[in-house]
Formats: sequence, structure tokens, C-alpha cells
Amino acid sequence: MNGETKNIIQENPFMPEPARIVRTYHLTDDVKFFQVRITDMDKALSFKYDTGQFAMISVLGAGEAPFSISSTPSRPGLLEFCIRKTGIVTDSIFRLKENSLIGLRGPYGKGFPTEKMEGKDIIIIMGGLGAAPLRSVLLYCLDNRNLFNRVILLHGAKRPSEMIFREEFFALKERDDLECYMSVDEDDTGQWPENVGVVTTLFPKVKDLDAENTVALVCGPPIMYKFVINELIKLDIPKDQILMTLERRMKCGVGKCGHCAIDYIYTCLDGPVFTYWDVLHMRELI
Amino acid sequence: MEKILTKKALPQWLIKLNAYQIYAPVKKENHWSYEALDKPESIRLDHLNTIQSPKMIIFPQREVFFEFHNAEGNTLVMKEPASESSATVIFGVRPCDAAGVTHQDKVFDGHFKDLYYWKRRNQTILVGLACNTPPSPHCFCLSVGGSPHSTAGFDILMTELEDSYYVESFSKKGDTLISLAGDIFSTPKENDKKDKEKAHSDSEKKLKRHIKDLETVPPKLKDMFDSPLWEEESLSCIQCGICTYLCPTCHCFDINDEKDSSSPLSGKRVRTWDNCQFPDFTMHSSGHNPRPDRASRLRQRIMHKFNYFVTNYKAYQCTGCGRCIDKCPVGIDIIEVLEKVRDYGK
Repeated sequence: MNGETKNIIQENPFMPEPARIVRTYHLTDDVKFFQVRITDMDKALSFKYDTGQFAMISVLGAGEAPFSISSTPSRPGLLEFCIRKTGIVTDSIFRLKENSLIGLRGPYGKGFPTEKMEGKDIIIIMGGLGAAPLRSVLLYCLDNRNLFNRVILLHGAKRPSEMIFREEFFALKERDDLECYMSVDEDDTGQWPENVGVVTTLFPKVKDLDAENTVALVCGPPIMYKFVINELIKLDIPKDQILMTLERRMKCGVGKCGHCAIDYIYTCLDGPVFTYWDVLHMRELI
Repeated sequence: MEKILTKKALPQWLIKLNAYQIYAPVKKENHWSYEALDKPESIRLDHLNTIQSPKMIIFPQREVFFEFHNAEGNTLVMKEPASESSATVIFGVRPCDAAGVTHQDKVFDGHFKDLYYWKRRNQTILVGLACNTPPSPHCFCLSVGGSPHSTAGFDILMTELEDSYYVESFSKKGDTLISLAGDIFSTPKENDKKDKEKAHSDSEKKLKRHIKDLETVPPKLKDMFDSPLWEEESLSCIQCGICTYLCPTCHCFDINDEKDSSSPLSGKRVRTWDNCQFPDFTMHSSGHNPRPDRASRLRQRIMHKFNYFVTNYKAYQCTGCGRCIDKCPVGIDIIEVLEKVRDYGK
């Protein structure tokens, strides 16, 4: 049942490693981007992770919380996170300026099976902050573009101002090896150049999907899963090729503290990436 | 190693163990608890169930993971507290509580080893006492794979005979404790062995509570996730969490920072016990809660102990100590809940 986690940087799993915030800026009003480097150079370079894995970030004095890694392992040395201000720890992270020190431990959990995804069509569906973990695998696919067949991105947000990585994804739209569609539930600016509607309204734009040969990656708010999965099932994508990365309250990240226990598994060890097949057989997952 | 120790000689044995930190059951007003033993002659082994099991010594309610401070030149220092290396002996441990320790071992082992736990665990020696009479009216160890004289987890098990203890050692650490006071032990005679075996078989007959056919419960629970039983059984629950705080097998914990100073920054990271019966145990930062009501939390407690843990470790995460029944302020009785599961739909 233990997740295949490798390259743990500390022998004591509860001991964070000092890391420095190299760059931080707002992605939206309540979401900030953080680029972080482990201060010990050797450890920074040996921090190997998979897309979809997460790390525990400490603001010493405020506490520790789990965050998906938004950067791709294909660009080592720096780790990136998108963090929404929702509680004590995130509130403190928000106040940290560039060059501040944080604690970092990980990587934890089972990420996306990128080796198994090779040669397949990849459709990535992200809603809101769901872009945080999925950006990692998206960039990984683009950095290793020849390993994958079609790469399709459906990105949804409530409003243009709440779309994280908006500029980055607009720039990606220019690539001819990525099919990139973006949508907002509501355009309060009157200037949104793309689709308006919930993320599922983007599905008709994706033509001639080879369902058997497609892997779908989904992450978004709990409400989104039901509607997106309905669409994917309608498209005949096999249940074990629909992968989701799920949120769960966590404290230790290493399968001891009990917070993220669901059924006989621990989200921190056996997740956060699950297949739709897992979700059907394990209640309480979402 | 098997020995006989006269009851009178028990304090003399403890005197020889001065190099160890000794915990033993101590009576305080009307309850028992494991405390550091200050005087060997004050040892008593006629204890009922202690309020807390010896879990609290190996996996304390609160422990400091590390201390941190901001140092000169904008660096961050995180340092584990210096730990003592002296070995600890816990005397008079009941077999259910030692079984609880073996269950905790499974959780704190695995791919990620909890070094804080194992440091203490490896320097702890468990000296047990077989329960000739049940130490609680709600004991049901026989139903969950244990027994009043189970040796699981023990370095030494003592069985009370008329004027002596039958002392069995199962480990090198146990042998060492005996050899430190070698001359006060004698070799058991054939009738001592018989007396011990009789005490053991008699003790099983004295247990008042049992769950028949408990082995049918784990497979049945797999199909009872959506059962209305959880709602019915949890109606009276006041969410105090006593059941899991007192449980010798429950291991859930929280991790928080305690700040001593903001500028310059200094403080501690602390682990404390947590409790799956509390609403915020599973609450996401967004406010979404996948386990939102009492029914789902009682279900989690029963499912974890009698379904999920069984799947992972081939054992019930319950040792039949009866504490959760004894101390539940509203009388929720885990035996009755399990019987209802067993008989559900019949």
C-alpha cells in the first residue's frame, strides 16, 4: 500500500529542509505563485519528483500544509507552487517576500503515470486551482513533446480575473502542437476573447478523440468532477484512463497521522492521483 | 527464560533496575494510571485498567519534533531536541495494551519510519501482567484475537500465583532485566507450571463480554458504507472523542507550531494526538468536508478498526480493553455496535 516515493531528502520524514523563495507574484487576487529553491545546492539538485506529487511547505511559526508541485521535473533545481490564501499557513506564506526562508519536505504521494501515458493522446481538464497540479504534467508533456501523441488542454475559471496562469496559457495557445481551449463561467470584463461557459462546454471543440487511446487528467473543485466525468464517459474513455488528482486534509504526508485515510488507503501515499475506477470503488474520495 | 519471583521480592527486583526509568500502575484517588515509579516498595500490581494505556509513554500526547529559530545572516535553523538514551521499563502492562503497542508498531513502521516513535519504542521494555481476573467489566480481548495471558508485544510476562509470580522472558532485553537480579529468582517447579496454566485457563472463563462470530463483521462492513445503522448508532454521540483518545491502538495526530517569539523568530514544532471524531479532522481549507456528520465519523471509527485495518494488517485495530465502553459519556458500546453490524439484515 505504500506509495512509491523516492529521493526523500531527509532521513527523518518530519524534518523540513530550508528553502528560499526565489520569486513570488500574484496569479489572481487570492492565488500567488511561488518559485522555491532548496538552500542546500546538492539537495536542490537531488530533489527528484514526479508530476502530480506534492510537498509539505512550512512557514515556521505558523505551521505546515501540503501543496501540489506546479513545476515540471523536466526543469530541475526550482520548485513552483500556486497557493490560495485560505487559512493560517497560507495566510503566512502570502506575507513572505522574495528571499524569505521556508521549510520544505517531500516529495510525497503517487503522481501521474507519465511512462504509461507515453504514445497516448493526453487531454487535461483543469478548473480553478486545479491548474496547480496539472500545470506540472502539462509542462512535462510539452517538454517531452515527442513522447506523446495529441496534447489537449481545457482550462476553466469562474471569471477572467480568476484564471490562474492566464498569460502563460495564452502564450501556449500559439503552439501548434497543443490544442488549448479556455473558458470562463462568466465574463465580467466584456473583453474575454475565448469561450464563455462552464469547462464542459469546451468538449465539443475537441474533434475526433480516439477514446481508447486517450488518457484524461482532471483536477478542479469537487463539484466539477461529476460533470467532467460524465462527458469523458460519453466519449467512451475507459474508466482507468481517467485520472484525477484529489484534495484531502493532510498533516504528515507519510501515512501516519490518519487525516487523509479513506477506505484502506492513505491519500498521501496512494494518491493524490486516482483513476475514476478507484473513485467508483472507494467512497468518500471526493 | 522462565523463573519464579516471590511477591515479597518484587521491590528488590526493581531496586536492581535503578538504571532504567520505571513506569508502573499507580492508584490516584479512584483511578489507575502509569506513572514514573518513585519508590520500588510502593509497587502494586493489583491494578484495574489504567485510564490511559501505556501508549502514552511510547507515543506521548504531546512531543516536540524540533525547535526552530532564525539565525544570523537570514538562515533558518531546525534542530531536534536532545533525547535521552536511557531505557524505559513499563511494569504491569496488561496484554491488551501490549497488543495495542504491536498495532502501533505496524503504523509507525513502513516505507516512512517514524523515527520519534521508534527511538522510544526501541528503548522501551514491556513487562506484562496476565489478567487473572478481568481488570474491567467490559474486557473482551478473547473476541479480538487476544487473551488475558497473551504474550504479544511483551519482553516479559508475569503471571500471579498464590505467593509468587511466574516470570517468562521472551527477549534478550527481558533476559537482561532478570539477570540483573539473578539471585532473587528461582527455577519454576512442575507444580508452578501447572498453577500458571490453570491461572491462564481460569482467566479466560472469567471474561464476561464476548462478540460471537466477529470474523463475519469485516466482510459485511464492506457493503455497509451506506447503511442507516451509522446514523442510528451515532445519534447520541456528543463528539467528545474519548473513545479514540483512550484507545491503545488509535494513532491519529496533528502537527502544529508553537511560537515563542516572532522577532527574532523562534519556536517549536509539536505533535499532539488528534481525533477522527472531530468535524475539522477532515475539513478541507475550502470548507468542503468529505466526512461531514456524526454518522460518517462513527462509521469511519468502526470501519477503520474492523475493516480497513484488517485489510492492511490482517488484525483488528482493537484489543478488547473496554476503555471506550467504560468511559463513553453517552454509553455507546462498541460491542453492541459490532453485534448490530453482524446481525444487520438478518
